[in-house]
Amino acid sequence: MSMSVKFINPFISAACSVLEAEADAQITRGKVSLQKSGTTSKDVTVALGVTGDVKGGVFYGFSEQTARALVSEMLGEPVPIFDELAESGIAEMGNVITGLATAELEQKGYLCRIAPPTLVTGRGVYISTLDFHRLVMPLETQYGDIELNVALKPVNDSTCTGQ
Amino acid sequence: MSKVLVVDDARFMRLRYRKLLTSEGYDVVEAENGKEALRVYEEEQPDLVFLDITMPVMDGLETLRELKQRHDEARVVMSSALGQERIIISAIKAGAEDFVVKPFEPNKILETVQKYVG
Repeated sequence: MSMSVKFINPFISAACSVLEAEADAQITRGKVSLQKSGTTSKDVTVALGVTGDVKGGVFYGFSEQTARALVSEMLGEPVPIFDELAESGIAEMGNVITGLATAELEQKGYLCRIAPPTLVTGRGVYISTLDFHRLVMPLETQYGDIELNVALKPVNDSTCTGQ
Repeated sequence: MSKVLVVDDARFMRLRYRKLLTSEGYDVVEAENGKEALRVYEEEQPDLVFLDITMPVMDGLETLRELKQRHDEARVVMSSALGQERIIISAIKAGAEDFVVKPFEPNKILETVQKYVG
């Protein structure tokens, strides 16, 4: 599990920093668990691929209500429907969290790149890159729960984050 | 009135910049990728450019190099979620004036605009 914590911690720190800075979120961290399922468990999932010295994927899950509430807070105006603007906003949040986390990984000696975020809407949607062991950390906020999924492993090392 | 070009593939981010900068009296024009940014720059001749790095069609660093080649006088501030040191160094070497790392901080954005265009 030590390898797991090594890679998930930058994402937890980054998520908390971004949520606090962007949405004034009050955050309670849940317990890290190990999961393996190829299907999404939330209404909205932001997926980002990571390559470089560390490879794999990072996924952020939200209910639609939580996603709208966060985007509304960041934008400073109501977001009544989950439209293209809301999609853009929640994807950008995932992008910023991942960017911040990868900067911390760089400081630890792991240079990596992130792909532009992909948004998946709907529960139970199969994502092939999600279908392996990953670490899941729920973050409770006043806007609702956010599910942070990290499935990363160092290149040239068969030890996956969750294994 | 000073004019700022905001280049970001995320409509949400362009809207945030627009709301903030127009509230302070700046004129804002937008582009959603690097290729469009080069065209808008030619047409609008903005005083400052905020340029995202990760974009489809033409990314920010490629756009920066192309823009500086065509308009050496262009003042460009990179704006990105990618805070890695090597990317910041690449951008500065390619001619960027400054680098703003997201999350979006309104005061920092305004300070940056004031620094370069007043």
